[in-house]
Amino acid sequence: MFGKYGLNDEIKENGVEIRIKGKGKVKRYYRKAGDEEIEKIVSAESGNLYVVPVEPVNLPKLGVAEHLLIEFEKPYIIEPSIQDTFYLKFPIEVGVFLVDRKDVERIDIFTMAKQKYILYGSPEQGIICRWWKSEIYHDEPEVKKLHEGIMRVDVKNSYREWVEVKKMVFRAFDMKIFYNSHAYMHAYVNILKKTMAETSFNSRKPKNMEASIDIYEAKGIKKLEKKFVMEWGL
Amino acid sequence: MNLQAEISKMLNHEVMKGVTLLDLFIFVAILVVAVIIAKIVRLNIRRALKEKVPKTTLVAIEKIAYYTIIIIGFVIAIPYIGFSLSGLLVAGGIAGIVIGLATQTVVSNLISGLFLMAEKPIQIGDGVSIGDVGGVVKDIRVLSTTIRTWDGIYVRLPNEKVFTSNIYNYNAHAARRFEYKVGIAYKSDADKAIEVIKNLLEEHPLILKEPAPQIFVEELADSSVELTIKIWAPSSEWYGVKTEMLWKIKVALEKAGIEIPFPQLVIWKGEKT
Repeated sequence: MFGKYGLNDEIKENGVEIRIKGKGKVKRYYRKAGDEEIEKIVSAESGNLYVVPVEPVNLPKLGVAEHLLIEFEKPYIIEPSIQDTFYLKFPIEVGVFLVDRKDVERIDIFTMAKQKYILYGSPEQGIICRWWKSEIYHDEPEVKKLHEGIMRVDVKNSYREWVEVKKMVFRAFDMKIFYNSHAYMHAYVNILKKTMAETSFNSRKPKNMEASIDIYEAKGIKKLEKKFVMEWGL
Repeated sequence: MNLQAEISKMLNHEVMKGVTLLDLFIFVAILVVAVIIAKIVRLNIRRALKEKVPKTTLVAIEKIAYYTIIIIGFVIAIPYIGFSLSGLLVAGGIAGIVIGLATQTVVSNLISGLFLMAEKPIQIGDGVSIGDVGGVVKDIRVLSTTIRTWDGIYVRLPNEKVFTSNIYNYNAHAARRFEYKVGIAYKSDADKAIEVIKNLLEEHPLILKEPAPQIFVEELADSSVELTIKIWAPSSEWYGVKTEMLWKIKVALEKAGIEIPFPQLVIWKGEKT
């Protein structure tokens, strides 16, 4: 499903249907995902349609959360001063963009994944995060491609004691999503204390993958900060 | 030639001591240009930063840029009407004391406004109750704060009143809790009702996973078993969730065969002896 399409292409996969139809400039955009259907009128002569995975914090309402919290099915305990790599599943939202040489415009976002939010930290100081629960996998897991993606996590325990981790929080602003048939991210987690860690993302494009359209960069926002500090527990 | 001389004479005519009409024109022109530049800069700042910085910060940046340019324009223009900057500062200081004494309320509002901006108990866009006024903060100015009440009325509050009133800010924290009370019939299964409500709340994306909703039997009341449902939602969304869920709870309970009773009164009629 993910990739570049012409303006008259029709996409159908696993209960999702996307098409732009119409002669001349004025066309009709139609999308069906599960029970949800939307239609928009598009006036375009040239350009392409991109259907790509985007940061999973836009639905049901933009601005509710800017972070993703992945809770582990079972707690993960790591020895002092070692590094490890494992894989998690993360929820995806699918963005539909109109792209020409001059501009990128997001016309639609939908998701097939369960949406749920959680408070990380206290009500006074905490942040609202998109919530997701995942097993920890030692090899890349099989995923429902329109529901979830694969996140590689390189974790390092920089603390002098054993640390138990039950969740990880990532800032959507830092995310760098890639795709081929599924969505993929590569995160770094550096454990600083028993209750504190910093999370960041690798922005280098893996082989045989394409970089997704970054919603923040599409809005013209330059990314400066690269790390998020989990300061309210792991 | 005659006209040129006339205009020149007119422009050089002294309207005040040492200030010609030309000087006065230049003074006004500089101020007008400064205001125009300030407005253009403010507009461009708004366009450039609208989606990139929070609204409160954007308004503060706009105001700082706007008034800085106007003050610079004023400082450049003031010598044309015969004031030196140092003289103005001295005069301003003395005048300030006099005006300050004469306008204590204004000064009080000004100082309160500065404290409000520094302490930030409210920000633009927050839902608040200040004294007996509730609504959304639309602007925090130096002398006053404007609020759009929940029913859409513009209210201007002097900053002194804002500063000295109890402020309830509904958006200051990330999440907030609200609750419902639902009565079910004595013959209905309270455990089942709790399970039905729990499953319903789990389906709603904006009802927070943590802090988890609490559902429990609060009271064995006259006509019903009273359930209390406590729900946490993002502060920006709680009202929408609150207005949506009560009816959904009622429908879900009825669908599960759980009765929500009317108030009942059992009357025992005594027999004649």
